[in-house]
Amino acid sequence: MDSVTKRQEMPPDGGYKTIPFKRVPARQFFSGYALIGGYLGMTAGAAYIYYLNCLQVQKEEIELRSGRIAIEPLLKAERDREYLKQLRRNRDEEAKLMANVEGWKVGTLYGEPIFKTRPDAFIEPKFHEYYMHTDLWSQKLRQYFVWLS
Amino acid sequence: MSLSPYFKSPFTDLTGSIVNHQFFGKCRKFEERAIDCMEAYGLERGRRECKTLIEDFTECSLAHKRLARFEIMVKERDRQINAGERKKEDGYAPPPVIDSF
Repeated sequence: MDSVTKRQEMPPDGGYKTIPFKRVPARQFFSGYALIGGYLGMTAGAAYIYYLNCLQVQKEEIELRSGRIAIEPLLKAERDREYLKQLRRNRDEEAKLMANVEGWKVGTLYGEPIFKTRPDAFIEPKFHEYYMHTDLWSQKLRQYFVWLS
Repeated sequence: MSLSPYFKSPFTDLTGSIVNHQFFGKCRKFEERAIDCMEAYGLERGRRECKTLIEDFTECSLAHKRLARFEIMVKERDRQINAGERKKEDGYAPPPVIDSF
């Protein structure tokens, strides 16, 4: 084993490369002042567009509101008309129901008026009276919040 | 406090009618007329003279007669259905339009 000789590893010719230890800064597209200025400018532009949008939304809200206000009397009139019609229907139903009962007079308790001092006055019914002749389920539908009705 | 004609003091005057129907009540006029009558006749005689007015006022506020009417009619309807005078299909009237009350 005499042919194997020792060889010391040495640096390459000219020595090793230098170690880059200096900071390499990123490439700058904008300066700081430009960034702040751009931010302010874009915000101002966006605010202006937002303002325009707000104006339009307000205008639409006013239009919607005035439409609702305009048709409110109509809706109320329809409701009142239906109310009075239903009162009449209730009266007819009562007459039909109590036709065979002795001494019963429609709108009274066995001939005794509800208000003695004003027998012919219009009496607003209570809720139960309004739904008196219907079944309980349709009354509950109106009276309570019913899930998945 | 309802002690007032027999036992009268500033406190009974003060607490005489804290709750009444005079503010936005449907029975405002009834109450006013009954109280006016009671004031004119006094307690003992007023109970007799103002009987109908007081009855009307209590009917307006508590609706005894109307509830009695309601119960009588519901019972009559149930009786008719159970006795077979009324068919199951048209046992009840169709309900009113839901937002009409």
